Amino acid sequence: MALNLDEVRKIASLARLRLSPEEERLFAGQLGDVVDYIDQLARYESADPPAAVALAPEADDIPGPSMPRELFLANAPSALDGFLLVPVVKGGGDA
Amino acid sequence: MPEPWELGAEEIARRVAARELSAAEVVDSALARTARVEPLVGAYLAVYDEEARERAAELDRRLAAGERAGRLAGVPVALKDNLNLAGKPLTCGSRILAGYVAPYTATAVERLLAAGAVVLGRANMDEFAMGSSTENSAYRRTRNPWDLARVPGGSSGGPAAAVAAGSAPLGFGSDTGGSVRQPAAMCGVVGVKPTWGRVSRHGLVAFASSTDQIGPLARGVRDAALALAVTAGPDPRDSTCAARPAEDYLESIEEGVRGLRVGVLREIDAAGLGAAARANWRAALELLARAGAEPVEVSAPSVSAAIAVYYVIATSEASANLARFDGVRYGRRAADAESLLDLYLRSRSEGFGTEVKRRIMLGTFALSSGYYEAYYGRARGVLEGMRRQVEAAFERVDLLATPTAPTGAFALGEKVDDPLAMYLSDAFTTPASLLGLPAVAVPSGFDEEGLPLSLQLMGRPFDEATVLRAARAFEREAGWRVAPGFRGAAAAPAG
Repeated sequence: MALNLDEVRKIASLARLRLSPEEERLFAGQLGDVVDYIDQLARYESADPPAAVALAPEADDIPGPSMPRELFLANAPSALDGFLLVPVVKGGGDA
Repeated sequence: MPEPWELGAEEIARRVAARELSAAEVVDSALARTARVEPLVGAYLAVYDEEARERAAELDRRLAAGERAGRLAGVPVALKDNLNLAGKPLTCGSRILAGYVAPYTATAVERLLAAGAVVLGRANMDEFAMGSSTENSAYRRTRNPWDLARVPGGSSGGPAAAVAAGSAPLGFGSDTGGSVRQPAAMCGVVGVKPTWGRVSRHGLVAFASSTDQIGPLARGVRDAALALAVTAGPDPRDSTCAARPAEDYLESIEEGVRGLRVGVLREIDAAGLGAAARANWRAALELLARAGAEPVEVSAPSVSAAIAVYYVIATSEASANLARFDGVRYGRRAADAESLLDLYLRSRSEGFGTEVKRRIMLGTFALSSGYYEAYYGRARGVLEGMRRQVEAAFERVDLLATPTAPTGAFALGEKVDDPLAMYLSDAFTTPASLLGLPAVAVPSGFDEEGLPLSLQLMGRPFDEATVLRAARAFEREAGWRVAPGFRGAAAAPAG
């Protein structure tokens, strides 16, 4: 199945991506091909209940030194007085 | 007498420890070789000439002062660009991390350094390890040292090409669906994907956390085993790293395959192998049998669905893992964003390349409302079926043998516009990734065009010792020598 452009735009919005019209057309076809391929999974389904997911053992919650603030902020695109600087949080939802 | 760059890691460390060779001589030789081959191959994003020389001199001073030599004393290593080395840039082959400087060092890299290794440079990769040809790097193309018109495989194509070309005896990459083994196969070197949890992932940039593992690339099995032994073992900084202590894989590595039962999956015949790869695969099985292994036919039908399962699970995890790249805390930030959402959208859209966007889209789709059960849920179910089938097979056999890749290296550009075709080159490597099993890719001969082919041996969880021992026996029988011809170069690099 090819995905239609509305579906591609909806997924892009969920993925926090803004695609160009060319990318939307490209991905509609390519993702459709991949999804068709993935649909073969229906042939391999078994009636067995899935096994419980094994969880990694939880480490003890022991406080320890973390990365120094200056070192972390050295990679920040924008920082002020020890804090990350971002644009005003307003609008949104209209990806 | 071979030049130092021609020596393997184990031999370099032995000679440096015995003071027969200085670390400085090794590093000078490796850098000189790198200067000759790098213009042809393009394995690196950065070569650390000065730091490597300084570190070698420091190692020599410490050895002269009586300090005990580490197991990798003076051994040059090429690191994939997704392994943190404090103070050095790290980009994961992506524009979104241009300018990022690693604030700390990955545990595996710390252990290499503690053993005396010398980091030679930062090697190329597909962006965020997503790809099978290294063509998805935002920075450069890397060429296959056997034929410069071909890809080196991926995503660890940089370290694989560096090792094959003679620049470094050892490379380190990450393997999520075959990203160490497949480029090892295409470049004619050995690559190891350890059991999930065998090597700490602390300091490896995450792609798909349930399958990501760090693994070595080397020109021989012994060197790969040594490098794995140095890096494996518990790490309090990675809670998914297993508590069991590391083993010394060299202790049993020469014990051969006599009596080992090697499982041959019936499903391989239907898996789209090229004619040369099929003939080579049959010959490899005969060679293992001649060395004393007992071939046993087994079946695990769901293994044929591994690529479909993998491209649901890995992309789902990637869509979550890569959410952190949003222009706020690190990496690229779009200029003049009007709001926080605009900042996210623009930073990500400008920073990520096409394949990364494609995979984030696919993973987001598989996890989205209305599709979750049909894709992510179903993939998990098929994976559990595969796990049961493969566990049943391992009750009858000690190892599973498959080809590593369905063909030799393909041409640059051949598959870039057809992502599905690119994904299918992971057919044999994705099962061990999904099931967390240890696997080794070991050179097994050539196709009709003189390009390397490779045998993959998989084992039970944490049974790296048996997998490496069998790979070593195979390598001994096959008598392989890593000697790429740089086809397509005006002249082969001298020395």
